[in-house]
Amino acid sequence: MTESSSSATAAQVRNLRWSLSSMRRRVWLISGLVVSVSLLGLLLSWLDPSIRAPLRPGLDFTGGTQIQLERRCDDSCGELKAIAVSDVIRTLELPVEEGQPLPNLGAPRVQLLDAGQSLLLRLPTLSAAQGQAVIQAVDPVAGPFLSGGQSVDTIGPSLGKQLLRSSLISLLVAFTGIAAYISFRYDRRYAFLALVALAHDVAIVCGVFAWLGVVLHLEVDSLFAVSLLTIAGYSVNDTVVVFDRIRERSKDASDLPLSLQVDQAVSATLTRTLYTSGTTLLPLLALVFFGGATLYWFAIALALGVVVGSWSSIALAPSLLTLWDRSLD
Amino acid sequence: MARYQGWFALVLALAIAAGMFLVRTPLELGLDLRGGSQLTVEVMPAGEITRVGSEEMEAVKAVLDRRVNGLGVAESTLQTVGESQLVLQLPGEQDPTAAARVLGDTALLEFRAQKPDTEAEFRGLRQLRSQVEAILRLREDQIRRGETPEPLDLDQLKSTQETLGLDGQANSEEEQLRELLNKVDSDLLTMLEPAALTGKQLVTAGRQPLQNNPNSWEVTLNFDAEGAEAFADLTKSIAGTDRLLAITLDDQLISAASVGPQFKSAGISGGAATISGNFSAESARELEVKLRGGSLPLPVEIIEVRTIGPTLGAENIRRSLVAALSGLALVAVFMVVAYRLPGAVAVMALSLYALFNLAVYALIPVTLTLPGIAGFILSIGMAVDANVLIFERIKDELRRGNTLIRSIDTGFSEAFSSIVDGHLTTLISCAALFFLGTGLVKGFAATLGIGVLLSLFTALTCTRTLLRFLMGYAGLRRANNFLPARQLPSPTA
Repeated sequence: MTESSSSATAAQVRNLRWSLSSMRRRVWLISGLVVSVSLLGLLLSWLDPSIRAPLRPGLDFTGGTQIQLERRCDDSCGELKAIAVSDVIRTLELPVEEGQPLPNLGAPRVQLLDAGQSLLLRLPTLSAAQGQAVIQAVDPVAGPFLSGGQSVDTIGPSLGKQLLRSSLISLLVAFTGIAAYISFRYDRRYAFLALVALAHDVAIVCGVFAWLGVVLHLEVDSLFAVSLLTIAGYSVNDTVVVFDRIRERSKDASDLPLSLQVDQAVSATLTRTLYTSGTTLLPLLALVFFGGATLYWFAIALALGVVVGSWSSIALAPSLLTLWDRSLD
Repeated sequence: MARYQGWFALVLALAIAAGMFLVRTPLELGLDLRGGSQLTVEVMPAGEITRVGSEEMEAVKAVLDRRVNGLGVAESTLQTVGESQLVLQLPGEQDPTAAARVLGDTALLEFRAQKPDTEAEFRGLRQLRSQVEAILRLREDQIRRGETPEPLDLDQLKSTQETLGLDGQANSEEEQLRELLNKVDSDLLTMLEPAALTGKQLVTAGRQPLQNNPNSWEVTLNFDAEGAEAFADLTKSIAGTDRLLAITLDDQLISAASVGPQFKSAGISGGAATISGNFSAESARELEVKLRGGSLPLPVEIIEVRTIGPTLGAENIRRSLVAALSGLALVAVFMVVAYRLPGAVAVMALSLYALFNLAVYALIPVTLTLPGIAGFILSIGMAVDANVLIFERIKDELRRGNTLIRSIDTGFSEAFSSIVDGHLTTLISCAALFFLGTGLVKGFAATLGIGVLLSLFTALTCTRTLLRFLMGYAGLRRANNFLPARQLPSPTA
């Protein structure tokens, strides 16, 4: 069904909706700049004495106790200052646990969520009884609290390390599996470039969150690890579809230069990529706006990953493919 | 055409079956959606066992299972996670303290006879212990109420410490008292023979209030044949002497009793005994649960406790429902605007996709958690991708001047390889996440993976079947239901 197309080359070049080869330098410049800014964010985060890691690790990775309390606001929630709550906690005397050192409450982190309707406390690891003591102490200042509206998470530090390790291992295994599959279905160049695009996407999302950690003190939790893994899957999926078109073009129009084959393939999949990103973004935006505090940053990370993933699959990865071609010639 | 009617009937039957199944089998909700407590414990290597293997895990799990059942929380689950962890879920339970206490103790129960010639010293130490403990309790209560406790008799404390060989370096008075208690306990243990009988020989444990004081409880024990014999021997050896029979739990003396001279000849036979140690109803129940569960072969450490209130859980459900439904609605509008008739077909296929997805969750069953719902919502977006790929190809074919039916068929076959490749690469990462990840990651990978598989099915069969079925109606069989007329090639071209 595409035999007729190779004869009308000139017309097709004119009909391209997006001539990638003519602007590949700009593509590389943009990607290079964004990746550099991201890496800078990771570096700054590492140099920040309060973080000392590429991303500000949350409770899931460092261990500790997190208490979330929903305030009962019948008419409206009374004015509440986070500092008033942390003052109460700082002077609190905790019940003693046998054989355990007393947790240091000197630096509690208090955050108001949902326009002051709920309260998030981050504390060092507390026992269940000590956690209840904190809730009781905070009640006169910030209460009354909704019964059944509280959540208490206590996580040991060993769990965070384990989570980090298992996430990294599964990410590596997933990469290897995907690379093997693409090498088998396409060839090694495609596999390599799909992984480059993937690294590009993951680096940018990490970089943005590193900046957020430095500037807004945003912490990454295990949901962020999940979102990175998902972005990796999505990125490759997106890139593979474009590669599939390029391969199809290279069979149907093998007399054309590779850069033109790539341009045609990318033009042909452009609508699809934009529509798919759009339809994936819509539910994610719904999550951002209606999903509540727990899923807010998770949805933002995913949405960012979708945008960056689309860019890398229609611009970065195919344009790098043409570079490869020239160096081989 | 008959072929497509067959497929159509199949899709319809599947949809009805899925709907009926969902009505009958409710979805299993995770604790973050229904409220409750979740505890993760790590089994620690100890003694000769340097690595926790699957056999050890089985043994620990069996013991904890019995203890958890003893707690009496409905629908509680205990699962092995990874190599050395267990996750306990207690739906509806708001106070994880009790569960933590029951899970956390190794509860190594031992019965020991007191060594000869230690009678006086033993009695003295036990008296000292109860005095010190009473003082410590009182002071701790006072501190908790915010009162300043009376100063201790320091001279007496000093002399007691010296007698026991302590140097009294601890910081506060409370710590000194506690140190004293620990020393007394370890001294008491040295006066006991090694255990002749352990919790392994225990068949059941029960509890009952004392007859003369209903506020005080005792715990009853029943031994197996071997245990009964050992118990008879043990009681025989000390019957009629001033020496005591000690019961220790995890090297803590919890009870000591004398054995009357009438048992001198045969010991206490019959394999039953009671422990009366001034238990409250609650502490008797906890001891009973621990004893019934038997002793843990290895110590465990609680590494994670998550508790979420039911109101918060309901709020989470409401929010994710709103997000899922508005997400679906936005996608539906987008598809119809962008693709007209096939867009509407895609919306139907997507609804089927959502229905099948939920039915599979109920069937397997998948416990639905907040990240799981996020995975589901995300997979809706990805499920659209397959439809978009197909419809773009159909449009291409129509622009080239192909007939409608031919374009549809070609569209599906051309898009097939990208759809399969894209889905398979996502499945590969889902598999890696599922088999290597833990907790949250696993749940997310499961829902996303199921979504990807189902999207493969709905895109390649449901969309196609519905589209072909609708093409049976001449009124719908018009190319400008697929593309605006101006984009179609003129018939003369």
